[in-house]
Order: sequence, then structure tokens, then C-alpha cells
Amino acid sequence: MAARRSADEMRDRVVLGEFGVRNVHTTDFPGNYPGYDDAWDQRRFEEAFRVDVIREEEDTLEFDMVGIDAAIANAFRRILLAEVPTMAVEKVFVYNNTSIVQDEILAHRLGLIPIRADPRLFEYRNQGDQEGTEIDTLQFQLKIKCKRNPQAAKESSDPDELYFNHKVYSKHMTWVPLGNQTDLFPDADFRPVHDDILIALLRPGQEIDVLMHCVKGIGKDHAKFSPVATASYRLLPDITLLQPIEDEAAETLQKCFSPGVIEIQNINGKRVARVANARLDTFSREVFRHEGLKNLVRLARVRNHYICKCVFQSPDMVCVNKQRLASTCGWLCASPRPQHLYIQNAVGNCLLWD
Amino acid sequence: PLPDVEFCGYCITHPSESKINFRIQTRGALPAVEPFRKGLNDLMGVCQHVLNTFERSMKEFRAQKEEEMQ
Repeated sequence: MAARRSADEMRDRVVLGEFGVRNVHTTDFPGNYPGYDDAWDQRRFEEAFRVDVIREEEDTLEFDMVGIDAAIANAFRRILLAEVPTMAVEKVFVYNNTSIVQDEILAHRLGLIPIRADPRLFEYRNQGDQEGTEIDTLQFQLKIKCKRNPQAAKESSDPDELYFNHKVYSKHMTWVPLGNQTDLFPDADFRPVHDDILIALLRPGQEIDVLMHCVKGIGKDHAKFSPVATASYRLLPDITLLQPIEDEAAETLQKCFSPGVIEIQNINGKRVARVANARLDTFSREVFRHEGLKNLVRLARVRNHYICKCVFQSPDMVCVNKQRLASTCGWLCASPRPQHLYIQNAVGNCLLWD
Repeated sequence: PLPDVEFCGYCITHPSESKINFRIQTRGALPAVEPFRKGLNDLMGVCQHVLNTFERSMKEFRAQKEEEMQ
């Protein structure tokens, strides 16, 4: 019984000890545990796997994937970061730039501005194509000139009062339809995601007149194309109290963890600690600093329960990105199809091109 | 994980090249390509299922939020 329990623990939990982390690697491959059938079974996977969406806000999505292996969860995270396409400014045609910001710095800043445009509506630009066509390019114009305000008070030193248009924001970028884009996208509202991104500062007489071409790209090429501010995951914490902890020890225990994790209940006049919500904990492992408490608690993580959190560049990307996660699944499926498979010798060494 | 595979590993020869070296060693008469093929197919199955489950969960979540709003 005890052997089975400890085998279960080794399979399901990553245990945080005082000086290190144990059971980090997945060990449930067939033959490793007698009495367990670990051969891959799609049906068993489907029964055990579930996705729980915890929170969906304008730009954040938090969901749990339960019953999946680290390799695949990580693969999704990496694909979200690097291989899901978005639109971003790639080429900046500078007609006039008399501002203090150099051309290339300005171009760099413009490239990093997230654009609210569904990349599925566009194609990738062909290699070597300098001009761009209406199916692969989104054109924006930024034309702004700073003037002195004749109505400003004489002693004023506030630039907002003295000058017009001295701050160039992303809201000053306007979409210039190419070719038949007005017909293709009659309701479309292509603009930067945020209106209040400061691009440059101007003084009277300075102006910026640029035309920008946005293309479809992926994060692997340049980070500006990454649709997520970040995509991360953590394993679900699992805190077990090995013995009942009461009174003062209970209060100390509560302080060792993040707020809301440990709750103190009044049972029969005694204050008893209880694990209320292990999920909230960030595992500072403060409990190991208390000699009296460190052997009474087991800190672990559930090996196959991933709490994933993605912060997206643009709000509607959340909806689009659930499609993305979908298409990354499709991507993962489609891409490893080998086009050429070489079997080099009898032992089975293969070289793979994709 | 498959029962007849004695060794399975991969390495990426150089990060700049899109190339992966796979080594699969099987027991007995099983040709080594078989586990590889099975692995790819299984991966497709997993991804498809994850996709479906995710879409379903998102739909349920949004439906639930709509109900709460009303």
C-alpha cells in the first residue's frame, strides 16, 4: 500500500523539498512501473484531458490544461510566442522627418506598435517583393506637423498650451487602403491597438510625414510579430498538511503562504489550520525556514495540471487567439509531416527534413 | 510511450538549422520507422483533441458568462 502510494506520488507530483525539487522528470513510460499500464492510449488521454477556462479579459486569457504532458504544454507555449502570425509595420517610407528622432529610430518604434488587424485576412508577402500588393500589405500614414499656439499665454511654459501636435501618438496613424481593400474590408477598422502610444515629440516647425507598410509575420522572425506580450504556464500547487496544526503554529503557517492559501477554522474551541486554496500560492517556501513547521507540510505540484496564462497584444486577439491555439494544434499536426525520410542504417538512425 | 521501443531520443544539430536528429531503436523485428510514424499520428490525435476540448471549453465559458450577465 505504501509502495503504491509512493509510486503514485512519484508519478503525479513534483515535490518541493527544503533544498531541492524532486521527481521533476516524467517517469511514466511503459515498463517502468510494474502494475501500471502506461502504453499510449488515445481514449484514456481523452477521458482524462480537460481544459478549464478561468478568466477571459480584454487582453488576458487564463486557462487550465489538465492531463497533458510537459512537452506538449511547452510546445503550445513556444508556438504561441514564436509562430502565430500577426501584422506589424515592416517598411517605413520617410517622406519628411524633421523631428529630433532619427529616421531609423522612428522606424523601429513604429514597427513595435501592435496593429489591430486579423492576420488571417492577409497573405504572407512573397520573398523579395519590395512593393507589396493589397492581399499582403496594410498601409498606414502618419502625417503630423507641430505648430505654435498663437493663443497661448505669454508666461506659459506648459508645452500642452504652447504648441499644437507636439506629441505624436499612435492615434495619429491613419489607414490608407490599397487597391481594392475598401471593397474587401468595408467594415474594417485597421488601426493600432492602443491610441496612446507616444511615438515622438515635436516642436514648432518640425514635422513627420511617413507611409508605413504592415506585413504578416511571425515572432520567430522578429519579436514585434509575437501576438502575446507573454505566454506562460505554471503547475498547480498542491499543499498537504501531514499533521493537524493548531493555534500559534497555525497562525505562523498562514503567514508562510500567500494570502488566501491557508485558512484558520475554529473547531471545538481550537484554531486549526486548513488548506483553503493551494492554487493561489506562489511557493516562496517560507515554511522551510521554521523548524517546527517544515516537517508537517508537504509542498508539491501536480505534474500534469498546467495553469496557462497568456497576455495578448490586442483585445480581439483573445478571440482570434483561441482560434490560434486551435491552429497551432493544427500546425503541430501539419508540420512534422516529413517530406523526406532517410533511413541510414539498420539500427534506425533517421535524418529528418521538414 | 510504446512497449517495443528500446531507445528513443532526438537532438537538434544546430539552432540555426531546422534539422532534428532522431534516434529510434526497437526490440525484435519491429521496423524502427513504425514507432516514429505512430508517434506522429498520435501527436496529431492529441493536438486535434486538445483543439476540440479548448474550443468547447471557451464556448461553455462564454455562454456561462452571458448567462451571468443576464
